[in-house]
Amino acid sequence: MSSLKESTTRKSGGFSALLKTLPLAPFSFVFLFFFCWPIFQIVKNSLDQGKGHYGLSAYRLMFTKPYMHAFATSLQLSFFSALTAGLIGAVVAFYVHRSSAGLKSTIAMLSGVLANSGGVPLAFMFIAAFGAQGGIVTLLKKMGFDIYGAGFTLYSLGGLILVYSFFQIPLMVLVFTPALEGMRNEWREANNSLGGSNFQFIRWVLIPVLFPAFLASVLLLFASAFSAFATARALTGGSVGLVPLVIGSLIDGNVITDQANLGDALAVGMVVVSGVVMLFYGFSLRWARGR
Amino acid sequence: MKNKILSISRYLILAAGLIFFVFPVASAVEFSLRSYGNKGHTFANYSWIFQQDDFFTNITISLKLAALSAIITLLTVVPAVTFLHLDGQRFKRIFEFLAILPLVVPVVSLAIGAQKAMPSFIQNSQYELAFFYVVIAIPYTFQSLNVGLSSIPLKTLVEASRSLGASFGRTVISVIVPAMRSAINAAIFLAVTLSFGEFTLTSLLHWETFPVWITRVSQGNVLGSIALSMFSLLGAWTLLILVQTAQNVRKKRSLKSQIEENEEALV
Repeated sequence: MSSLKESTTRKSGGFSALLKTLPLAPFSFVFLFFFCWPIFQIVKNSLDQGKGHYGLSAYRLMFTKPYMHAFATSLQLSFFSALTAGLIGAVVAFYVHRSSAGLKSTIAMLSGVLANSGGVPLAFMFIAAFGAQGGIVTLLKKMGFDIYGAGFTLYSLGGLILVYSFFQIPLMVLVFTPALEGMRNEWREANNSLGGSNFQFIRWVLIPVLFPAFLASVLLLFASAFSAFATARALTGGSVGLVPLVIGSLIDGNVITDQANLGDALAVGMVVVSGVVMLFYGFSLRWARGR
Repeated sequence: MKNKILSISRYLILAAGLIFFVFPVASAVEFSLRSYGNKGHTFANYSWIFQQDDFFTNITISLKLAALSAIITLLTVVPAVTFLHLDGQRFKRIFEFLAILPLVVPVVSLAIGAQKAMPSFIQNSQYELAFFYVVIAIPYTFQSLNVGLSSIPLKTLVEASRSLGASFGRTVISVIVPAMRSAINAAIFLAVTLSFGEFTLTSLLHWETFPVWITRVSQGNVLGSIALSMFSLLGAWTLLILVQTAQNVRKKRSLKSQIEENEEALV
């Protein structure tokens, strides 16, 4: 990156031009040293075989059953939580969009607040509400619904999806609402005057127009669920084997393998998956803006 | 008829939303007031929080780190984005792309890299965290500054100031900073909230801040941990709502005074 910066400045003329880009220097330094350098180190380490040799043995281990299973679980969690929160959030955003300005700004504010509340405290809050002794669970039991008896447990994939919804639905409302602002009232009028039904309007106008923005928002939720760590760790300990949790226990030395750089390989694997998701996010964002 | 169905379903959805978001909170608050052995409800779990020796130590550490990340953001992201809007248009694309990248790299991965890459004199100081918080926050702070600045004719303002004979320093202090104030405030706010709540990187690098301390201290006291969680969640929500309301009020007021000025000019 720095060579790129230098070459562009050299083209436009020497030392004084370089001096002019000085305001970019602090940012570039922090970015290079605290972001690019660590990333370079994990890539290098994941290939390091010791004694100056490089090879793929850490990746070979990553592609064995237990770790592929962790990736599958993580992808499953991200997929279902993004889809659930995406669909519910889109419907909520749609209804809020058609409400009064006061309600709109209140919901926007609350969404902004709730979308930021992941982490350990949220996990504990859900334990208090939906744990085996939790308030909601005991209340439902008194009303005759024994959800734990029916097989529900908070400390599972389904439980995690429930908890993630608490900040992912507001996040969806937040990122999906701008797309709704672009809708024109005339479209509905045109549909009605041409004799189209409500269903036809939704099926042939609304969904095709909003789909790219919906896809982009869901991919963003996917990426956020995929890399989430704190909530999952506090809620499940390690009982749901997600990739970030596996990396965490490797760092803490709770899991011992003879492949010391397995953690680095898994970390690179996560970057690759999340990079692909963000690439598709970029594409669908461009698609949405092209409309 | 159709409209009626629509408005009824709208209220149903709002009610469902309220239940989904309010019930867990209310239920957890009730839980946090319970006592061991079912002896009714008390505030004992909340007073337990303040009896912990490390409570204030860790809040102070977290506040210090949040302040430091705010300062670093001011010194790194703010000059960079300002420059991109003034003279550095041709770098804008590249830096916008770079600023997204921390979102692509999961924090867990960054933590592993940080452990390997940092020289020991940096790893031995807790203040290394502030730099990583700034990096993690870059996608948000950069974007919010970038959007905020694109609505201000910064270049015109600077040219006007310079052609009126103001020095560069004078221009920065009395033109650039005041014009950017609300954009800067928003970015700082993002940096502070993100650093105050950061858990993943902090715990994986084995440092103790407020969020990490909550998990450690709660291992021995379930009710206390719920009380502590509700204390920090409700505290954060109140603070966020207050700041956002203040921002909205200020925005409305500045809009109103602008309209009034325009009207006066017309008269």
